[in-house]
Amino acid sequence: MPYIAVDQLSKTFTVRKKREKGRLTREKTAVHALQGVSFSVEQGELVGYIGPNGAGKSTTVKILSGILTPDGGSALVGGRVPWQNRKEHVRRIGVVFGQRSQLWWDVPVIDSFSLLKDIYRVPTEAYQKRLAELTEALDLAPFLRTPLRLLSLGQRMRAELAGSLLHSPELLFLDEPTIGLDAVSKLALRDFLKYENEKNGTTILLTTHDMEDIAALCRRVMVLGHGKKLYDGDLPELLSRYDTQRVITLRYDGGAALPPLPDGCQVSREGADYKIAYSPQALPTARLLTLLQSAGSIRELTAQPENIDHLIAAMYREMGL
Amino acid sequence: MMKAYLSAFRMRWKMELQYRGAVVGGFVCQVFFGLILVSLYRALYAGKPQSLPIESVTTYVWLQQAFFRMILSSDPDLANRIRTGDIAYDLCRPLQLYGYYYARILAQKLLGSLLRAAPMLVFAACLPRGWGLVLPASLPALAVALLGLVLGLLCVCTLENITVGITMRTLDPRGVQAMLNLLMTTLSGNILPLTLFPDSWQKAITLLPYAQLLDAPIRLYSGQYALAQAPRALLVQAVWTVILLGLGLLLWQKNQKRLIVQGG
Repeated sequence: MPYIAVDQLSKTFTVRKKREKGRLTREKTAVHALQGVSFSVEQGELVGYIGPNGAGKSTTVKILSGILTPDGGSALVGGRVPWQNRKEHVRRIGVVFGQRSQLWWDVPVIDSFSLLKDIYRVPTEAYQKRLAELTEALDLAPFLRTPLRLLSLGQRMRAELAGSLLHSPELLFLDEPTIGLDAVSKLALRDFLKYENEKNGTTILLTTHDMEDIAALCRRVMVLGHGKKLYDGDLPELLSRYDTQRVITLRYDGGAALPPLPDGCQVSREGADYKIAYSPQALPTARLLTLLQSAGSIRELTAQPENIDHLIAAMYREMGL
Repeated sequence: MMKAYLSAFRMRWKMELQYRGAVVGGFVCQVFFGLILVSLYRALYAGKPQSLPIESVTTYVWLQQAFFRMILSSDPDLANRIRTGDIAYDLCRPLQLYGYYYARILAQKLLGSLLRAAPMLVFAACLPRGWGLVLPASLPALAVALLGLVLGLLCVCTLENITVGITMRTLDPRGVQAMLNLLMTTLSGNILPLTLFPDSWQKAITLLPYAQLLDAPIRLYSGQYALAQAPRALLVQAVWTVILLGLGLLLWQKNQKRLIVQGG
C-alpha cells in the first residue's frame, strides 16, 4: 500500500463578491479548488507538485496536513485520515509554508525551537542530536541566538525549515520554500532537501513555481490545473514533449558559409555568428552537427538549453491553463 | 501533556518582557487617567457627598487603573496570525488550539498587568488619603481578593478567546473589539465604579461576566463584599469562567470545521 493514497479528492470554496450597485445581496460564486484529484506517493519519494497560481496545490497540502476537510473523496497518509486523526497525524508530518512564519518574531530562534520541542514532545536527547544535525546542515549556528526579526530572508527560511524538521517528521510538505531567496541560499536549501530525503528517508512533497527547484530535486512531477491532475510522471519526459525547439549558435574558422540545411531550420546571422533554430524531433542534433562540420572547421559553438520556464508556460498554454 | 501549553505561556511571557518601553508608557498613561478620574469624583463629592466614602471610590479607581492591562488588551499577535494566515501553522500542531491560544493570552495579560500594577500600586499608596489607595479591609479580605483576582484573570482570558474565535470568522478584529471594549470598560467598572451605580442596577450588573473580572476582587479587597459573602462572589466568578470556557470551546470547534486559511 502506498504511503500517501489520495482518491477523488474534491474541495469547493464559496467566495463572496462585492455587492453590485443597485442589488441588495452579494453574489456568491463557488470556486472548485479540487475536482477529483487522485494520486499515490511511496515512502521516501521526493515529488514535485506544480501548477499555475490557483490550481489547487495549497488546498491539497492543507487537506493532507489536516487543516482543511475535503468535500469529497478520500485520503490516507501512512494509514491515517489527516482530518479525522488530526493530532495523531500532524505529530508525524512537517510543513513549511514559504510565505508564512512559524517562529516567533521577537524572540531568539533557539527559543522558538524549544517551544516546538515541547509541542511535539521530542525527548531531550533526540532533540539535541537533531538540532545539531540541522544546525550543521543548514548552517544555523551564526544566528541561533538572534531574534528572528533581525535575520535576513535566507537565514529566516533556513530557520523555518529547521523548525519544521525538529521532530523528524516522516513526511514534509514544502509550499514554495525558495520564494524570494538569493541564488546561494536557494542552492544550499536544495542541497539540504536532497540530503534530508536521501539520508533520513523523509518523503517530500514540494510545491513551487521555481522550475529550477523541481528540475534539481524531483524526478517525478505532478501537474495540477483548475483543480484537476493533468500529468503525473517523469519530469524529463514531460519536458521533452514541449521541448520542440532548440537554438545553436556557431562561428566558422575563416568565415566559411553555412551548408544548405533541411527545411524547418531557421537561420539568422549576426556578424560572423550563425543562429540556427531547429526542432530535434524532425532533425536529430547529431545529424545537424555532421552537416555543419562538413562546411568547414567550427571555431565556436553554443547550444542553449530551452529555458524550463518557457517549457512550462508552453505546457500550461497547451493544457488551457 | 501540559508541557506544550506551559511552554507557550513561557514564550509569550518572554515576548512581553521585550516590550519594557510599553510598560513605562502604559504606567504614565494610567496614572494620568487615574488622577483625572479621582479629581472628577472629588469634585462630584464636594458638591454632593455620596453614601459611599470617597476613599472607597479612589481605591476602586486606582485598582482598576493598576490592572487595566488585564481587561483591555487584545493580543495583536493573534489577530495578525488569523488575518495573514500564519494560523495555518498553529492548525497543524498536535495541540488543542484553544488551549494554546489561551496560554498565550494568559501570559500576556498576567505579565502585562503585573509589570504595570506594581509601580502603580506603590504610586497610589503614596498619595494622601482621599486621593490614593487605602489598605485592604483585613488580611483575610486581601487573601480572598487575590483569589478573586486570579479567577477574574482566568475569566477574562475566556472572554478574550471568544473574541479571537469571532475574529476567525470576521477576519478583522477591530469591529468586534471596539464593541466588546465598550461593554468591557463600562460594565467592568473601569469608567465609572460599579459601586456608584444605583443599587437596583448593581444587583443586575454584578451578575454579568464583566463584573467578575475586576469589580468582584476590588469589592473583596475593600470589604464591600464581607468575608461571609466571599464564597458566593467567588462562586459567581467560577461559574462564569466555566460557562465562557464552554462557549468558547464550542465556537472554536465550529470554526475549525469551516475555517478557510487566508492568503492562498
